[in-house]
Formats: sequence, C-alpha cells, structure tokens
Amino acid sequence: MSVELGAARILVPASIHRGDVIDVRALVEHPMATGLFRDAQGSPIPAHFINDVSVTYGDREAARFVWSSGISRDPFVEFPLVADREAPLTLTWKDNKGGVFTQTVDIKFVT
Amino acid sequence: MSGFSRRLFLHASGLAFLGLAARRLAALARPRSSDDVPWKVQQVLKQLFGDRPVQDGHVQLDVPAVAADGRVVPVMIESDLPMAPDRYVKAVHVLVDNNPDIHLAEFRLTPQIGQAFVSTRIKMRMTSPVRAVVETSDGALWGAAADVRVTVNGCG
Repeated sequence: MSVELGAARILVPASIHRGDVIDVRALVEHPMATGLFRDAQGSPIPAHFINDVSVTYGDREAARFVWSSGISRDPFVEFPLVADREAPLTLTWKDNKGGVFTQTVDIKFVT
Repeated sequence: MSGFSRRLFLHASGLAFLGLAARRLAALARPRSSDDVPWKVQQVLKQLFGDRPVQDGHVQLDVPAVAADGRVVPVMIESDLPMAPDRYVKAVHVLVDNNPDIHLAEFRLTPQIGQAFVSTRIKMRMTSPVRAVVETSDGALWGAAADVRVTVNGCG
C-alpha cells in the first residue's frame, strides 16, 4: 500500500465568466483507513482518514465538509461555486492524525 | 386432469415469477420512502436533528442500484431548494443504514455554493439503504433514500 499522501488536485473550468456557477472537482490522495481492516500479516491497520475539509474562496469559507472513514480512498468531491470575484480558491484537508494537506487554484475571469 | 392442473400450475408460477420480477425491478429503480427507518438510524437522526421531522421531497439522490465494489460507490445529491442569502441549504447529510458509522458525511454549504449539489464516493459494508438529508438555514429537513445492493464489502 503505497500512496503519495496528500497529493491534491483541484479542477475548475478553463474559462470562467463573472457570476458563473462553476463546477469544482477536488481529489486528495489518502488511504482513508477505517481501522477495521488487517494487513497481510494480520495486524490491524490503524484508522487514518480525513475528517475535515474546508473550502475557502477569497477570505471567506464557502463550505466545510465533515467526513468519516466511510468516504472512499483518495477522496473525491464535486460541488458548485458562484464565481463572483477573482480570488484564490483553497481546499484544506485535515486527517485524524494531524495531517494537513492544502491546494489552491486562482479563480480568474476571461476578458 | 393432471395435464390441466400442470398447466394451471405453470400459469400460476409464471405469473408469480413475473410479479416478483416486477416488484424487484420496482424496488431497485424506485427510491424508497423514508418512512421505514430502522431504530438505529432513528437514533442517529435524533442525535443530529432532535425531534424535527424529515420530510420527503426536494432532494434527488443518485446512487447505483447495484454496486459491484462496496469500496467505491458514487453518490450524487441535489436539491432544488434555493441558495439565497436569507434562505439556503446549510447542510447535506449522508447516512448509510448498515455501515459501522451510519452518519457518513456532512457537507456544510453557504450561498456561495450557488446550488445545493454534492458528489462524492463512499464505502459500503453491505447492501443497505442510503439516505440523504438536506437541512435548510431555517431548520427544515428534507430527505430521500434509495437501496444499493453491494457485492463486495468496502468497510472491513
């Protein structure tokens, strides 16, 4: 089980106009271990999962997700966003072991 | 005489089979009503929302009828409720009846999100109803549920 822990991507449309409701897709590489599985040697794999995701657009929090280990490995999430200003969009994923992973894209309008 | 009863039997069993098949198809295709909530799920709902009732409607829950792999089950939840600054969907909850952790996720939204929509991928231990509950800023609760058949355990 080798995962590049915390490698994250955010995908937004290439051309955005002011006021568009855009589709944001985000993915972070994470094992999302439930703590219920055992490895090949029979020893339990400790729970290790993302439990808090914050979506910040500019200086305001646009959304916050509270997750359990029931979200699939390499968690993916898709949600809309009203692109009403040019500002950075940041997602921060936090896991139950103190890991913090972050990724930012700049929301820019086409002229 | 024996031929007649045999024919009758075949007709009857054929009809019964068709009936069962139709019921099965209907159960897979149609979302279930959120009335028949098991006790353990009622406890979770009570913890989350107190005594506020969850009404049917305004929520569209898209899940596969059959999930080959319980480790990755796509879930899409959409609501036609407004996302205006004064009245909006403040949270979308996902519950899976037969998972070790019934309250799987909560997506807290703001009007900046524009439309009450989230899509993600979840784990499922076994065949189970999946429930989506949408909470508006004024405290109303709307829900939808659908059955997902799972063939490979995704929770351990």
